[in-house]
Amino acid sequence: MEALLLIISVERNQGMLSTIDDATLMKVAAALGEEEAVTLIEYIKNADEITDDEIANKTGIRLNSVRKILYKLYDHSLVSLRRTRDPKTGWFIFHWKLQPDQLEGFILSQKRRVLEKLNVRLEYEKNHDFYYCNTPGCKRVPFEEAVELVFHCSTCGKPLVHCGNEKIVQKLSEKVDQLRKELGE
Amino acid sequence: MFLVVFGDTYFYVESAHIFNVTANLMMVMPKRNDLEQKALHFVMNTGYNGVLQSELWRELGASSREGSRIAIKLEEKGLIRREKELEGGRWTYRLFPKRLPASIESIADCPCLLCQDNARCDPTTAISPKSCAKLTDWILSLNNEGSAALGEPDFAQGMDPR
Repeated sequence: MEALLLIISVERNQGMLSTIDDATLMKVAAALGEEEAVTLIEYIKNADEITDDEIANKTGIRLNSVRKILYKLYDHSLVSLRRTRDPKTGWFIFHWKLQPDQLEGFILSQKRRVLEKLNVRLEYEKNHDFYYCNTPGCKRVPFEEAVELVFHCSTCGKPLVHCGNEKIVQKLSEKVDQLRKELGE
Repeated sequence: MFLVVFGDTYFYVESAHIFNVTANLMMVMPKRNDLEQKALHFVMNTGYNGVLQSELWRELGASSREGSRIAIKLEEKGLIRREKELEGGRWTYRLFPKRLPASIESIADCPCLLCQDNARCDPTTAISPKSCAKLTDWILSLNNEGSAALGEPDFAQGMDPR
């Protein structure tokens, strides 16, 4: 039988309807850290596989910062990594590639993480009464702790007065609602 | 026998299958995919209000036939919802996104995102979301438009497909 070599190269994003665009990608980059991360992502999103050396040369970001950012992105699976050995020196060469399809998952998981923390905070705010000495830099203390301190701030010694947390509770509830909605919960 | 190379994997298939495979691939990747992608972005950016199908195809510069076919396709894929609506004496559909575009906006400035102490942050320990001062500052800095921003121009801006 006749053998035929059929090469079908399927580009990753074809056939898949992505809901993420460049602007979001850049916002994530900005949220993840320095300005340099934005420049770096801007550059590697158009490249296929690329080594850290190349990125540093082309973007003018220092090699150690490039690696730092790449490792951070790698932690969140936003870039993939392939390792080869330099035949002459025996050193490892790292080939990086942006994985835009991981972005949505990353955003969702971050939102879930933040939401969990906000829920904890909201419960705590709702179930406690707070006392405060009105000195900037001092901490608010819940009622139980204030009793132990005989209503005097442990840091500045001023008397502790009741402090309403309605504003925090309201803003917190709104944020929690918004995140729930966005996560479709 | 045929050798099919798919990315970096390859396999042999019987000749009859090859035609099925290519036919399927062509179905998965029609030329109109680009238009579909644009349509999806457009519908997603409308948020909770949805958009009339007629507005969609006018915006895309497509014909009404293409417009309705794309809408049906997107509905089949579970990406949008269509609701019948009478508009100017004609029946048309209003298209709603099933899922809003993922946007980092709502938590972009949250201190938890980059917090060094994340691994140690727990309600039962000294570093806790209950007492975190950075978190308090963030909560207090939130503006009250928070929940209204969904589906509003401000929210949609980041998702502009162009």
